[in-house]
Amino acid sequence: MDIKKEKETMETDISLVMDIKTGNKQALGRLVERHKKLAYQIALGLVGNRDDAFDISQEAFLRVYRSAKTYDESQPFLPWFYRIVVNLSRTWLKRRTRQRKRMVDVDDNAYLLVDTHDPEQDLIKAEMISCLNRALLELPFEDREIVMLQHFRGMSYDEIAGILNIPRGTVMSRLYYARKKLAKLMERSNNG
Amino acid sequence: MDKHLRELLAGYVDGELSDEERQEFEAALVTDPELRRELDEFKKLKEVTGLMTYADLPEEVWENYWHSLYRKLERGFGWIFLSLGAIILLFFGGLTALYEIYIDPEVTLWVKAGLATLILGVVTLLVSFIRERLFAYNRERYREVKR
Repeated sequence: MDIKKEKETMETDISLVMDIKTGNKQALGRLVERHKKLAYQIALGLVGNRDDAFDISQEAFLRVYRSAKTYDESQPFLPWFYRIVVNLSRTWLKRRTRQRKRMVDVDDNAYLLVDTHDPEQDLIKAEMISCLNRALLELPFEDREIVMLQHFRGMSYDEIAGILNIPRGTVMSRLYYARKKLAKLMERSNNG
Repeated sequence: MDKHLRELLAGYVDGELSDEERQEFEAALVTDPELRRELDEFKKLKEVTGLMTYADLPEEVWENYWHSLYRKLERGFGWIFLSLGAIILLFFGGLTALYEIYIDPEVTLWVKAGLATLILGVVTLLVSFIRERLFAYNRERYREVKR
C-alpha cells in the first residue's frame, strides 16, 4: 500500500463508506471497483486458492456493507478493510482445518507466478515457485500474514504495524522469525 | 543472537533502518559470521519472492464481479426475511397447534406425553447448543480484533 496514494484516496474511501452507512449500494459498487483486486490478492496470499480468495474478497465487501455503521471515520479505510479480509481468511482456514483439508486444493498449485519473462531460466524458476508455494502454505497463519504484507504487498513497517495493531519492533521481530521458518521450509521442500 | 540484532536484521533487508541503526548493524556484521549467513539467507529469500506475483483471474471474472456481489447482497436480504418469516410462523403456528392438541379431549394422553417429551428434548438441545456457542465465543482468540 502506497501511503501517498492512501492519503489521496482516503477522503473518497471514507466518504464512500459514509454513503454505504446510509444503505447506498452504488457507493458500495464504487468502493468495490477500487479495491476488488486488492481484496482478492490479500486473500489469495493467505489461503492460496483462487476460487476461495475470490469468495473471501466478495464476503469482505458484504461485511463492509453490513458493518459500515461500526466504521470509525476518523481512521483510514484500508487498514480496517485489510483486517476484515485477514479475519475472513483466518476463519476460512480454521474451517478447512476442521474439515481436515488444511492444505489448498491440489489443482490450484499456481497461485503464485513468476513476474519476469526470461525463458532461459524458466525451469529453475518453476522449481522455485513450486518450493515457495509449498513453503508458504505450511507457514503458520501469523507468519504467512506478515510475509504476505511485506514481501507481496510491499508495505512499510509502519503500515504493517497499523494494520496488525502491533508495535514497529514487533513487526521486525515477527518478520525475522517468519523468514527463518520460510527459509527452513523452502530448504526442506527443495531437498524433499 | 539478541532480540535487538534480529530486529535490525529484518529492517536492514527491507531498508527500514535509520542511518544510526544501519551503522550499528553493519558493525555487528563484521564480527558475527552467523549474522552474515542469516543476512545472505534473507536476501536470497527476498530476491525469490520479489520475482513472484499473484495469479490474476480472467478479465471476464472481474467484469462480472460487481453483478455477482450484488446478487449475493440481494440474496442475503432474501434469506434474512425468509428466516425471520419462518421463525415467526413456526413459533406462533407451533404454539397454536400445541394448544389445539392439548385441549383436544380426543388426543390420547400418550400422544400428549410424547409431544411434551419431544419439546423438552428440542429445548434441551437448543440450550446446550447456545451454551456451547457462548463458551466458544468467550474463548475466541481473535474476538477482540477490531474489524
